Amino acid sequence: MQVNEMQAAAPLAPPAPKKKKVSIQERKERWIAFLFILPPVIGFLIFTALSVIFTVVYSFQHYNALSDISEFVQFENYIDLFTSPTRAPLFRKAIVNTFVLLLSVPFSMILGLILAGLLRLGEIKGSKFFQVLYYVPAVSSAVAMNIVWNYIFRSNGILNTILGIDTVWLDGDVTIKVAIIFKNSINAMGGAMILYLAGMLNVPKDLYEASSLDGAGKLRQFFSITLPLTSPVTFYLLITGVIGGLQSYADAQVFAAGNSGATTIVYFIWQQGIQGNNNQGLASAASVLLAVLIMIITLIQFKLSNKWVYEE
Amino acid sequence: MQQVILKNSVLSWWQKAAKIVVRVLIYALLVFGSVLIVFPFLWMLLSSFKTPLDANALDFSFFPKEWVTSNYAELFASANFPIVDAFFNTILVEVSVIVIGTFVSALAAFSFAKLKLQHKTFWLLFLMSGMMVPYAALMLPQFRVFQAINMFDTLWPLILPGFFGNVSMLFFLVQYMRGVPNAILEAARMDGAGHFTCFIRVMFPLVKTAIAAQVIFWFIGIWNDYFAPSIYLITPDKMTLQALLGSLNPSMNRQYLPMALAGAVLSSIPMFVIYLSCQKFFIESLAISGVKG
Repeated sequence: MQVNEMQAAAPLAPPAPKKKKVSIQERKERWIAFLFILPPVIGFLIFTALSVIFTVVYSFQHYNALSDISEFVQFENYIDLFTSPTRAPLFRKAIVNTFVLLLSVPFSMILGLILAGLLRLGEIKGSKFFQVLYYVPAVSSAVAMNIVWNYIFRSNGILNTILGIDTVWLDGDVTIKVAIIFKNSINAMGGAMILYLAGMLNVPKDLYEASSLDGAGKLRQFFSITLPLTSPVTFYLLITGVIGGLQSYADAQVFAAGNSGATTIVYFIWQQGIQGNNNQGLASAASVLLAVLIMIITLIQFKLSNKWVYEE
Repeated sequence: MQQVILKNSVLSWWQKAAKIVVRVLIYALLVFGSVLIVFPFLWMLLSSFKTPLDANALDFSFFPKEWVTSNYAELFASANFPIVDAFFNTILVEVSVIVIGTFVSALAAFSFAKLKLQHKTFWLLFLMSGMMVPYAALMLPQFRVFQAINMFDTLWPLILPGFFGNVSMLFFLVQYMRGVPNAILEAARMDGAGHFTCFIRVMFPLVKTAIAAQVIFWFIGIWNDYFAPSIYLITPDKMTLQALLGSLNPSMNRQYLPMALAGAVLSSIPMFVIYLSCQKFFIESLAISGVKG
């Protein structure tokens, strides 16, 4: 998606000469052109701009759904998020969980990188077959996957039976995180693999030839050529993975069924604002903080994607 | 130099052997990975043919002790989990959003790509900025408004936003339409066609495949969408497939387990069909996004 944005924004129409009189024809075209982009613009104004503004407004209010009365309370919601004896521990837990669960991002990247490396190293014939197969979880429904993974990880489930252990995966504070990180790493490794493979195809072959003349082994080549030269892929996977992971919800809701060891920030927002806790102000404050965090990461990506990584 | 050549010829026989061993190892690892990927789907399918008792038993078997289709039958008959209604609700959202949303997105893209729109950069950046806002930061005001206008527990909150187009599709089409030569459009204009006619008669047929590609992605996105459907829909016969599946959550009620798995199987089939029939296109689009990103 980011690609589309950047490329779409780059080539611009040259500025029109100022003094030239605009013909009626052209004026008409400008109006029609504006009319054509109006629906997305209106949609943006209502469903994004206004919604964001109101989320910010709500975050400074206490709202009573029963009486439908809003009361302005300044920063109370933000302070409550971190100090309220009942809500702050939940929020803190959700933040910690969300960030711990982000570990599946580097894990899936490492798995994807290894798989891509294996496919290249072994010059595997059925490479396309494995790519298609490994990407299946990414196009599958998160709910369906979570239901079946939950079944696999349950106490008397097939995983424990196969391994001959009796770990309580779904009720433990740490074990449930391990389970989620494991399943998410498996589910996302295919996408990472495909992207790394594509990245590796772009690495000039003569670099490998030159280095093998210098006596570098395959492993050395991997770390000193492949890895640095596929850094754009690494960067892309990291950023998109983190942005997606910060908005994780279905894992907490379906897989963990609300277990406090796996609540996420978005789950907390849902719990406070929608599930009937009548706490939309607090939920909005949390949403604002999450949005700010994601915007910062997106802007970092925008700014640094050209500096940090190798480009031709 | 001679030493090296000598070394090579001496080592070649076991180098060959090592190469074969390495390849076997690599295949073994890839097959192991494939098992990890396939297993959840296989387990989903097998267990959907088990009785609730069998599926929840402590000494469960890998294959069903007794193959039953009652889980599927129940999904089709039950009023609590009406999968047929859910299917049609999902299709209703899909079709209305995609037909109108695609038209709106393509028309706007045409304007950005080919018409003398003023402040083009501004409007593009304006629309782009929405892509970095998480849904969580939009949902509460929308939730309150949809409740206030009596659209809670209807499909409208899922459909209405889609009517205004899809920004990522729009950007993709802008790029694509820029590649269409102006001469083709000029020719149509010479014949007296207006801008809208140009779009419908000339541009649209030319970018059909690009649009189809985007529609597939959008279709899958809507199909698998869970968050918004789960907060807006509470009556079973108004739910989309994912919302219904989520409400069947078997970790809350183990009795529903095989039925939930049967639902998961049914709701996955259309996605598999689409994915497998367009697999090449999926892998290629993904590969491009990362290399350029």
